[in-house]
Amino acid sequence: MTIPDQNTRKILAVFAHPDDESFICGGTLAKYASQGVEITLVSATRGEMGRRMGNPPYLNRESLPAARELELRQACTCLGIEQLHFFDIRDKMVEFADEESLIARVSALIRDIDPDVVLTFHERLGGHPDHCAIGKATTAAHKRTGHRSHLYFITFGDMMNHPERFGYTRKDVIRIDVHAFLEAKLAAFRAHRCQTEIDEWVWLPDQEALKRFGNYEYFLKGNTGTPNRDLQDLF
Amino acid sequence: MIQISKSKVEAVLQGFIGSDAYIHSEATAFVFVRNFKVHVTQSFIAGEGPFRVALRFDGHGWLRMEALTHYEADENKLLLAGYDDRGRLNVALHLGKEPFPE
Repeated sequence: MTIPDQNTRKILAVFAHPDDESFICGGTLAKYASQGVEITLVSATRGEMGRRMGNPPYLNRESLPAARELELRQACTCLGIEQLHFFDIRDKMVEFADEESLIARVSALIRDIDPDVVLTFHERLGGHPDHCAIGKATTAAHKRTGHRSHLYFITFGDMMNHPERFGYTRKDVIRIDVHAFLEAKLAAFRAHRCQTEIDEWVWLPDQEALKRFGNYEYFLKGNTGTPNRDLQDLF
Repeated sequence: MIQISKSKVEAVLQGFIGSDAYIHSEATAFVFVRNFKVHVTQSFIAGEGPFRVALRFDGHGWLRMEALTHYEADENKLLLAGYDDRGRLNVALHLGKEPFPE
């Protein structure tokens, strides 16, 4: 029997679709996993209403959920994510799922896992109705549990290089240097094969493909009341 | 999924005539309907590829879809799909004797 180390740092990431974890913040997850951080990922859906079916196509609407689950498990291995949960909500339907039960499920995970960091989508800047809905529920769960963890919203690309455009300041933004973890991020992109086959750059030789990634991933503070020691670390 | 053979799909469609079918129908990114149940009274396939498929149901209704390119079938279901030239789904029409997973 292994006794959990009281000092092990933990991240709970609550996202909507397989690939959110890799495409948006895969470098950061790989970086913290390499430092021994225990990462639990929730994917609210299996991305089963996605449009990409491989290129050339080898999937259909009925075979997509199992394929995407398998791809996500492989991506988790690439990034070092140890625990994966699905909420079994149909893709595109998160905003129509019962919000109270969604909040209760996330709250239960926060209590069980007792994470140091919670990652989710911003409820307005999430960019997709499923993203905004899971972000809203997770934010509500974090607030309702009164948990000690830091809450952050994941953001796309380098949009938070200019936080003032979204009503935030530089002090609200954590910038994570992921340059040493881009190989793992690329491997995770490739694990999501049916989604990335259409993007030719992903399948170029590694050194060419890696040039497409930025060296930083950006996170927006969700509980601005708690100051971070620095703006380059989520903990 | 394989490219639609008009005669083969026509035969499978005819197997649903006179029976209840659960339908998944979508025009990807804009609309999907999953597991609406109809009693199929007539079925049609038209075109030379991409294909058009229509169902008449319940004595008072129609479902018509176009841009269908591929299919897959077994004893209990017929999956029809229309892909673009880069593997993206444009449309899907599934008929099942049992409901599809919700």
